[in-house]
Amino acid sequence: MGPEFGRLAYVRHVITYTLSPFEQRPFANYFRVGLPNTWRRFRSSVFRVTPPFVVAYAVYSWGTEENERLKRKNPADYANDQ
Amino acid sequence: MAHQLRKSHPLLKLVNHSLIDLPTPSNISYWWNFGSLLGFTLLIQLASGVMLMMHFLADDSLAFMSVAYTSREVWYGWLIRSLHANGASLFFLCTFLHIGRGVYYGSYLNENTWNIGVLLLLLLMATAFMGYVLPWGQMSFWGATVITNLMSAIPYVGDSIVTWIWGGPSVNSATLTRFTTLHFLLPFILMATILTHLIFLHERGSFNPLGLISNADKIPFHPYFSAKDAMGMALATVLLMTLTFYFPNLLGDPENFTPADPMKTPDHIKPEWYFLFAYTILRSIPNKLMGVIAMFASILVLLLLPALHTSKRQSMSLRPLSQLLFWVLIADFFILTWIGGQPVQNPYTLIGQTASFIYFFTILILLPLTGMIENLLIKPLRYRPYGPWKIPIMPTWGN
Repeated sequence: MGPEFGRLAYVRHVITYTLSPFEQRPFANYFRVGLPNTWRRFRSSVFRVTPPFVVAYAVYSWGTEENERLKRKNPADYANDQ
Repeated sequence: MAHQLRKSHPLLKLVNHSLIDLPTPSNISYWWNFGSLLGFTLLIQLASGVMLMMHFLADDSLAFMSVAYTSREVWYGWLIRSLHANGASLFFLCTFLHIGRGVYYGSYLNENTWNIGVLLLLLLMATAFMGYVLPWGQMSFWGATVITNLMSAIPYVGDSIVTWIWGGPSVNSATLTRFTTLHFLLPFILMATILTHLIFLHERGSFNPLGLISNADKIPFHPYFSAKDAMGMALATVLLMTLTFYFPNLLGDPENFTPADPMKTPDHIKPEWYFLFAYTILRSIPNKLMGVIAMFASILVLLLLPALHTSKRQSMSLRPLSQLLFWVLIADFFILTWIGGQPVQNPYTLIGQTASFIYFFTILILLPLTGMIENLLIKPLRYRPYGPWKIPIMPTWGN
């Protein structure tokens, strides 16, 4: 039932090389490459993700203030009361 | 071979095929953790729910007191109750993130799995709705009254259906007992439906963030993704325990600390946070029947996504315009949730109607349109000009 190892794909002329974990540094370049790469990934997606949330927050902020304003009396309506 | 019992034993080979030797794409991200997290949360809900049921009394004069007794007198009853209540919130959080992953990465193109997933969502919502009624607080009673009353909008048979659901002229003890039974039963139907969801998923194998066929680069589920899923479960447990121990009532409604009183209507009747988006869409339309239809349509529109997929590429990961619209949809979902918890006053009504319109407009019109625009922006598919085989350079699902 379903694809299994050995029946997935037939790919020829692919050679892979690996290095033993005992022959390499764990967490190699974790900060030196990792932090600039994280910044690159953030830059490439931030202007697609955040604008809708900025607009949504502006709507939330305006809506809350407007609701409060509509529940208050307007002092100008009573300016000429004796 | 005899020593590979996991491959030959009739029961173990099912476990092996799903959780050990399952070929899994090497590049699936943390967005793929939410499926296993949902199973984990379901187990928490089942275990805590069964323990709560041992002490729950399904009668309108006893229910509220039995829940208070469980919380106060039963050993760790407060913990079991808090786990179950907050576990429901975790369940819906994981569900929304799981569906969001499906929308973003085009997982709905696996139609059988997707359609069963929509059925699972409906079953989950029904289970959670009935579960909230059981403590028989003010919000339990009045939330049940409001939502079951919506069925009366159905032409000709509406009132009969509502009376049949209630088991009487209003929400009463009969309603509570039948909701208790169904709330206990539905999770087991949910489990069976989840099994069919997984059967259909494992026919093709998981998709991946790139949206390309990954058969040439698959790794076994164990140990890579069993470890990753275990880490996801550990993080989810931290979140659930933080809520349970430090902020147990953060997501609840204070009205539910008052026993149900049919003679006293709360000022602001509203459901739990995970239903608020649907509540907004329901209240946006002045007509009762159309509001009910729109509310159900907000869930059932998910079934249309496979037909509305116009892009040549499955995933949104290489489609910036669609990505922007996706996040517009998510931000709109937040607005809908916020408005659902607000009273029906200006300008909340206008914002709610606008947000409801944006929800349907984005899914039905803008996303398909953007897919078509993006198709015009990609270069035509190239074939290798040499070699004994002719395959496209970027194969995708659906071809």
